[in-house]
Amino acid sequence: MATTLKARTHGAALRAPARRRRRIRKPPLTYADKRMTTQMVDRLWWRAGFGPSEADRKAWTGKRVGALVDWMLTTGPTLIGQPPVNNGVALAPTANDTDLVLEWLDRMVRSDNPLPERLTFFWHDHFGNSRNVVSSQMIFNQISLLRSFSTLGANATSDVRSLMQAITVDPSMLRFLTGEANVKGRPNENYARELMELFCLGVTDAQGQPNYGEDDVKELARALSGWQVNNTNPAAPFSYFTQSRWDPGVKTFLGQSGAFNATQAVDVVLSHPNHAPYLMRKLWNEFVQTPPDPGTLADLVNTYNRRGRRLRPVLRKILTHRSLFESIAEPNMIKSPIVYTAGAMRAMGMFVVNGNPRSRLQVMGQDPYFPPDVSGWEYGPAWLDTNTSISRFRLIADFTGSQPVDQTDIPGETPQQAFDRAYAATGGGWLSPDNRARILDYAARTPGGTLSQRRTRQRVLRSLMLGGPDGQVM
Amino acid sequence: MHEPGDIDAIKALHCADCARSDSAALDLAPVDHMPIPTEALTGFPDGVPGMSRLDRRRFLRNGFVGFASVYAASKIPWVKAFEAAVAEGAVPNSKLVMVFLNGGNDGGNTFVPFEQAQYDAYAALRPTIKRAQGGTGPGGSTVMPGTAGRLAFANVLTANGTLGGLDTLWGPTGDFNDPASTLALFPATDYPNPNFSHFTSRDWWFAGALQQSTTGWLGRWLDMYGSNVNPLQAVSIGSNVSKMIRAAKAPVSSVPETLGGFGFNVGGAPVNTEVGSLVGAVAGNASTARSRAVYGQTVQVAQQLGGVTHTPGANYPANSSLSRRLQLAATLLSANLGTRIVTIDWGSFDTHGNQVAGQDPQLTVLAQALSAFQADLAGRGIDQQVTTVVFSEFGRRAGENLSFGTDHGAGGPLMVSGTKVRGGLGGAPAPMTSSGLVRGNLAVTTDFRTVYASLINEWLGGDAAAVLPGGTFTLTREDGAPSLFRP
Repeated sequence: MATTLKARTHGAALRAPARRRRRIRKPPLTYADKRMTTQMVDRLWWRAGFGPSEADRKAWTGKRVGALVDWMLTTGPTLIGQPPVNNGVALAPTANDTDLVLEWLDRMVRSDNPLPERLTFFWHDHFGNSRNVVSSQMIFNQISLLRSFSTLGANATSDVRSLMQAITVDPSMLRFLTGEANVKGRPNENYARELMELFCLGVTDAQGQPNYGEDDVKELARALSGWQVNNTNPAAPFSYFTQSRWDPGVKTFLGQSGAFNATQAVDVVLSHPNHAPYLMRKLWNEFVQTPPDPGTLADLVNTYNRRGRRLRPVLRKILTHRSLFESIAEPNMIKSPIVYTAGAMRAMGMFVVNGNPRSRLQVMGQDPYFPPDVSGWEYGPAWLDTNTSISRFRLIADFTGSQPVDQTDIPGETPQQAFDRAYAATGGGWLSPDNRARILDYAARTPGGTLSQRRTRQRVLRSLMLGGPDGQVM
Repeated sequence: MHEPGDIDAIKALHCADCARSDSAALDLAPVDHMPIPTEALTGFPDGVPGMSRLDRRRFLRNGFVGFASVYAASKIPWVKAFEAAVAEGAVPNSKLVMVFLNGGNDGGNTFVPFEQAQYDAYAALRPTIKRAQGGTGPGGSTVMPGTAGRLAFANVLTANGTLGGLDTLWGPTGDFNDPASTLALFPATDYPNPNFSHFTSRDWWFAGALQQSTTGWLGRWLDMYGSNVNPLQAVSIGSNVSKMIRAAKAPVSSVPETLGGFGFNVGGAPVNTEVGSLVGAVAGNASTARSRAVYGQTVQVAQQLGGVTHTPGANYPANSSLSRRLQLAATLLSANLGTRIVTIDWGSFDTHGNQVAGQDPQLTVLAQALSAFQADLAGRGIDQQVTTVVFSEFGRRAGENLSFGTDHGAGGPLMVSGTKVRGGLGGAPAPMTSSGLVRGNLAVTTDFRTVYASLINEWLGGDAAAVLPGGTFTLTREDGAPSLFRP
C-alpha cells in the first residue's frame, strides 16, 4: 500500500532528490516570510475565517504571513464573548433546527481562531448531508466529527484517509446516501457512486477521461455492504457492521481485485491517480479565486501524497501562497452567505441572540445543515441576484438597529465624523475609494438636525458600507 | 432492517437514488457548478439608446427627482439602463410562463389510461394507488374528450365532485381546431435514454441540452433575441434565478412572491438611490464587477416595479404559493415592463411513498390555479399574449413500490396552455401494458426539445436551431394538428 511505502521512504536521503526536483521546477513564490500589511491581514482572516476583528488586525499587522497561518493551523479554538441564546432561551440544537443553525453560527462568530470552523464548513459542503433527510442528532454528530478533523491544533495529523474511513460508516452518511440499505445480494450503489464522483475523484480527470465506469460503481458497492444504523435511542445513533450482510466475495474495481471490505475499498479509491489533484483543486478553490497553475497544483499533489494525505502541510502551502493575496487592493472573491453573515456579526460585535440571521441565510441561499443536494452549494457569481442582494443588505440594516451595536447620538457630528464612526462600527472593511467618496457624500447631503435624522443617517451609512456592493467581496 | 417507526430511515429509503435531490423548492441543484458568467446580469453596456423627453418624464415620475438633482443621472449606469429599458417600451406580444413541478410528477395518476387493456395493465401495476375508472369524486377519473377514449382526467376533482380546472382549459372537444380547446397535452415527455437523477435531469431540461451548460435554454434565447438592458425581461418568481434563464449577457432577475417593498431599505425607509450610487465605479475584477452589477440591477428592478400596483386576480386556490406566484406573474405580464419570460418553481412531487396523499392535493391546486391564471389573463386582456408550460424533470415508474409510491421513471406529462395554443393530444400516451414498457418505465413519446423548438420558432420568435444544440427538433403531434399554436 502507498502508506507503507511512504513510511519507508521517510528518510533524509530520500528527501534530497525531492528538494532538487523542486528547485528545478521552480515552485511558485510563497509569501510565508512576508510581513503583512493590514490589507493582507484582512485577506487572510476573510479567506481562512470570517473576517478580522479590530484586535486581530492590531495583533497581526506587521507580522509574517507564515506566523499567522501557523497560529491558525495549531491553535484552539476558544470561544470568546457572549454565549448564544434564541430570544433569551439557551439553544437546543438537536431539538430545533433554527437552534441547530445558530449553534454553528455562534462558533463561527466567537472562535478566536476561525480556521477550524471554516474547514468544518468546507467538509459539510463537500459531503452535502442534509437535515431534510437525517435526524438532527445524526447530522449534529457528523458535523462534530468533521470538526474534529478540522481542528488541526488538537489533531495535527488529521488526514483525509482517516476522514474518508470515518465518514463512510458515519450514521448520517449511511442514512443520507442509503448505505444502510446496501446488503449482500442487493447492492445499493448510492454511496459508492458519490464516494468516487463527488468525494474523492470526480467524474473525469483534467483531460476529460472518465475516472471510473459503471462496473466500478457496482463492484465498489459490494465492498461497502454490511453497515447499518441503530437509531433506537435517537439521542445516540450509532452504526454497526453485520458480517452476514457483507458481500465477502472478490471485487474488482479501479484496476484492483480482492475480497475488499469498506476500509480497504476506501484505500483503493484513494489510490486512484486523480484523487489528489481532484481534492487539492477543490481545497484551493475554497480559498483562492484564480485556479491553481499547473506547477502549484503539482506541488500540492506531491505534498499531499508525500505527507500521508495530511491536511496541515497542504493548507499551509495554500494559505501562504502568493495567489491568496492576489488583487489585494480590490478583493476578488464573493463572500458565501455564511461567511458574509458570520463576518458581519464579527465586524459589528454582534452575538447570536435570535433566529433572524438564519432567516436571512435561507433567502441568501445558504441554510447551514440544509445544502440543496449531495453536491453541496453552488459557489461563485450565482450567490448574487436581485433577490439575494436585498436579503444581504437587509441583514446589515437590521443589525444596525439592534443592540449591542453602538447607538450613541452625537448632535454636532460633521459628515466626516459620522462617516468615521459608522466605518468603525462596521469593522472598517474594504471600500473602494470611489464608493468611500459616494458614501461620504451621502453623509454630507443628508440632514442631521434631529435625533431621528442622525439615527437614520448612521444606520444608512453602516448599511451602505457593509451591506452594499463592496461589502460582498473578500 | 429499520426500527419500527423510524421515520427518517423510511424517508431516506424512499429516496434511494435521490438523496442528492432537494426537498427545497428552489431550483438550485447543480451537478457541476454552473456559475452565471461574470458578464451575465451586467446589463450596463455603453452607448445605450438615449431617452426621449417622454421617457424622461416617465422616469422622473417614478420617483427619482431627489437623486437626479444630486448626480448627473446619465452618468449612473443603472440609470442609463433603466432609461434604456423604459425606452424599449412595448415588446412582442408573446410571453412565456414556465412552471416547473419539482421532484418528478407522476403522469399515470394525472392522466389515467382509459382504454380497457391499458387501464387493466395500469390497475395491475398500481393495485393500491390506482384511480378508479369513471366516477365523479376524488379517486375517480373522467374520460377526456377528443382523446378517442385513451385518457381520463384524474385528481382534478374537487370535494364536491366538480372538475377542478384542467377540464375547463381542455375544453368540451379537445379538438385542436376548437378555440375553446386551449390545453395541449404531451403525456410522456422526456429525452432519449432518460437519466433518473433529479439533478442531471433538471439540469438538462433547464439547459435545453443533454449536457451541462452554463446557460439555460431561455437564457441563450435572451442573449440572442432579448434586451441587453432590462432585467425584468425574464423573472424568476419566488426563488433565486432559475437555471432556465441563466444567460451569458442578458440581464435577468428574481423577485419574491410577495412584491411589497421590493428594494433596499433601512428601517422601512427606501434607500435605493443611495445604494444605486455605489454601483457605477469601474471594477478591476470579475467578482466586484458582478456585485456592483447585481446591486445596480436590483435598484433598477425596484424602480421599475415601484410604479406597479399588484392587483391579485380572483378565484385562485387559497393559501398556495403557486397561486401567489401566478398572481404576481399576471400583474407583471400586464404591467408593460417588457417581461417576456416568467419562471416558477413549485411543489414537491418526489412521491416515493404514500403518493396519493402527497400528489392529489398538489394536483388539485395546480389545476385550479392554472385555470384561474387563464381567467386572470383574460380579465386583463392579455390572454392572447401568454403561453404557460407545466413540466417536471421526469415521470415516475409505471408500477407502484412497496411504500405506496412510485420511484423515479421516464416520460412525465408536459402541458402547454394558452388562448393561442392549439389544445388537444400533442403527444401519444405511453402504453402501460408490459410489452409497451421499457424495463418498467414508460416509453418516451415526446422529446422535450421538440416542444422547446416549437416555443421558439412558433411563439417567442427566433431560430430554435441557434438556441438548442444537438440537432434539429421538429414537433409532430399525435392528433395531427399542424402546429402547437394557432395562426
